[in-house]
Amino acid sequence: MFTGWHILASFLWIAPYSANAREIVPGSQDTLNAYMIPFFGQSWSVFAPEPINGDYHFNVRATLADGSETGWVSATDVEISMIRYNLFPPRAGIQSNEVASSYKDAYDSITEDQRNVVGGDFAVDEWEVGLQAALEAQVAADTDAAATDGADTAANTAEIDDLIAQEHRTTAYATQVAYAIWGEEDVEKVQYRVSRQNIIPFAERHNPSAERPEPTIVLPGWRGPIIEDHQSSENFAKVFRDQFERSTR
Amino acid sequence: MSAPTTPDAGSRSHTSEAAEASKAQEAEATPSSASPIARFFAFIGSIIAAAWMGFANAIGNALEFLERWLFNGKKAVYGIAVTRIIFGLTACGLLLSNFTTRLYTFGSGSAWNGEIAEPVSDFPKIWIFSAFHVVAANDVAFTLLYLVLLVLAVLFVLGWRFRVVLPVFFVMWVGFIEMNDMVGDQGDNMFRIAMILMFFTDAASRWSLDAKRRAKKGEWFAPDSSPGQIGTVLHNLALIALTAQVAFVYGSGALFKAQGSPWASGYAVYDPLQTARFGTWPILSDLITAWGPLVAVGTWGSILLQCAFLLALLSRPTRLIALVGILSFHIMIGVLMGLPWFSLTMIAIDSIFIRDRSWKRLADGTSRRWRAAMRQEAAVA
Repeated sequence: MFTGWHILASFLWIAPYSANAREIVPGSQDTLNAYMIPFFGQSWSVFAPEPINGDYHFNVRATLADGSETGWVSATDVEISMIRYNLFPPRAGIQSNEVASSYKDAYDSITEDQRNVVGGDFAVDEWEVGLQAALEAQVAADTDAAATDGADTAANTAEIDDLIAQEHRTTAYATQVAYAIWGEEDVEKVQYRVSRQNIIPFAERHNPSAERPEPTIVLPGWRGPIIEDHQSSENFAKVFRDQFERSTR
Repeated sequence: MSAPTTPDAGSRSHTSEAAEASKAQEAEATPSSASPIARFFAFIGSIIAAAWMGFANAIGNALEFLERWLFNGKKAVYGIAVTRIIFGLTACGLLLSNFTTRLYTFGSGSAWNGEIAEPVSDFPKIWIFSAFHVVAANDVAFTLLYLVLLVLAVLFVLGWRFRVVLPVFFVMWVGFIEMNDMVGDQGDNMFRIAMILMFFTDAASRWSLDAKRRAKKGEWFAPDSSPGQIGTVLHNLALIALTAQVAFVYGSGALFKAQGSPWASGYAVYDPLQTARFGTWPILSDLITAWGPLVAVGTWGSILLQCAFLLALLSRPTRLIALVGILSFHIMIGVLMGLPWFSLTMIAIDSIFIRDRSWKRLADGTSRRWRAAMRQEAAVA
C-alpha cells in the first residue's frame, strides 16, 4: 500500500506539472508537497525544453586605495579553467557561472527605469538600504506617471527583493575576487560586469567566418565591498589566486 | 530483475476448465428450436462470459505472480550490490575531486554565498543533517568531518556493517552535499532518493564484507522465518519503487525535452556542448558534433531511449538495447559535459536491471580468467 502511494506520489511529482492529474490525491498539491519535500525533492526538466545555448561571463574590477581603477579580471575564465579538460571536475569551477546567471535573471525581471538605478554607484556604508529605497522610489514614480496616463502598474516588490538579494551575494563574491587579486588592504570599491553570449548556431558551425552573436552586457555601478560573517578571504584567495596564475600563465 | 522460474501451480488451467464446462452447459441449455436471433444472443452472451472469465483469471494470475515475485526470494541481489559499490565509488570520487577546493566551495572560503548565515536547502536546518553546516566556518572540524565521510564512503563500497554505515553515511552525506546549493545538480537528489530506498534493501548481501561474515556466522533470520519474509518483501518492494523512480525520471525527461524545438529539430545536444559550462572538452565537442546525422542520432536517440525505457525493460532483447543505449548516454554526459558523478549515480541504479544470472556469469568468468592468468604468471616465474 505504502509503496503504491510512494510510486503514485513520485509519478505525479516527477512528471511535467499537471494540476488536473494531481487532483487524484486528496489535498492535491499540498499533500504532495508535504510528502515529497525535502526528502524526495527533485526536478527533471534538465536541458529542456531548450538546452542552454550561451555562456555567462563574470568580470570584476576594483578602485584601489590610491584612487586608481584596475583592469577587468574574468572570474569565469579562472573558475572554468578548473573544469576544462578535467575528467573529475571540482564543483568550485561553476560558482561564478551560477552567480552570473542568477544575477542576470534578477536584473532582467526588474523594470527599465529600475535597471538605470542599478547602473548607478552605491558605494557608501549601508548602500544596500539606499539601493532598495531608490528602486522602490522608482516604482512610486512610475505609478504616479501611470496614474496620469490612466494605466495600472503594480509594485514589483518580489522582483526588487530578489535583485537586492542577488546584489548582496554577487557583491560579496566580487569582493572576494578583488581581494584575491589586488589585496584586501587596497580594495576600496568593486564593480562587476555580467554578460551572456550565445554560441555559434548549429547551422553555422562549419562556416569559418561565423562569429558568436554580440553578448548582452549588464553593468551595474560601483559597489562598496561586502564581507559576510565567518568569511575567510584567505581560503578563497588561496584557490582563486593559484588558479588565476595558472590560467593566465 | 528476473522472472520467477517456478512453474505455474496449475490453478489457471483448473479455472479455465471450469469456464469451458460452464460454457458447454450454456450451449446445452440453449434450446435447439430457438430462433436464429436468440441463438445469436446466446452466442454473444457466451463471448461476454468468456471475456469476463478471461479478465478475472488474468487479474488473479497477475496477483498470484506478484505475490510469488514479492515473497519468493530477494530479487536483484547482485544488481543492488553493484549499485552500492558504484554509489560508494561516486561518493569517494566526488569527495576526492573537491578535496583541494573544499574550503573554497563548501567551507569558510565560501561564506560569501550566504549559506553559513542562512542555508538555502531545507536539510541543514534539520538538526540531524546539520553537522557540516554547524562546522562550516571551522576549517579543522570541517576537514575532519570531510575525512570521516570519505572513510564511510570506502566502507560503503566494501559493504562493511552496512546496516550501520548506510544510515550514518546517509545523514552525513546529505548534510554535506546540501552545504552549497548553487553547485548541486539533480544527481544529488537521485543519490539521496536511491539511498532512502536502499534502506529497505539488502544491498550488502553479495560482494561485501558483510556477505563474508554472514556466510561464516549465519544470517540474522532464516529466509523462511517471518522476519526473513518481511525482509524479502521490503527488499523487493524497494526495488519496485526504485525502478519506478528511474523510469519516471527518464519518461519525464523525455516529455520535457519533446516540448523544445531544438530537440525536435534534432540538434539539441550541440548547444550545451558548445558552452564553457557543459562543454568541458571543447575539441571533443567539435569533433562529435561535426557530422549532422550523428548529432540527430544523439538528440533523438536520447528522447526515444528515455521514453521507451520502462517498456523496453520488459523483454530481453529490448532490455539489452535500452541498457546499452542508456549506458552510452550516461557516459557521454559524464565525460563530455563534465558531470561524472551524476552519470555514475544513474549508471549505478541502472545496474539493478541486469539479472543476477548475468552478474554472476560475469563475475565467474572474470575470476576464472584472473586465476588462469595468475597461474600462468606463476608458471613463468
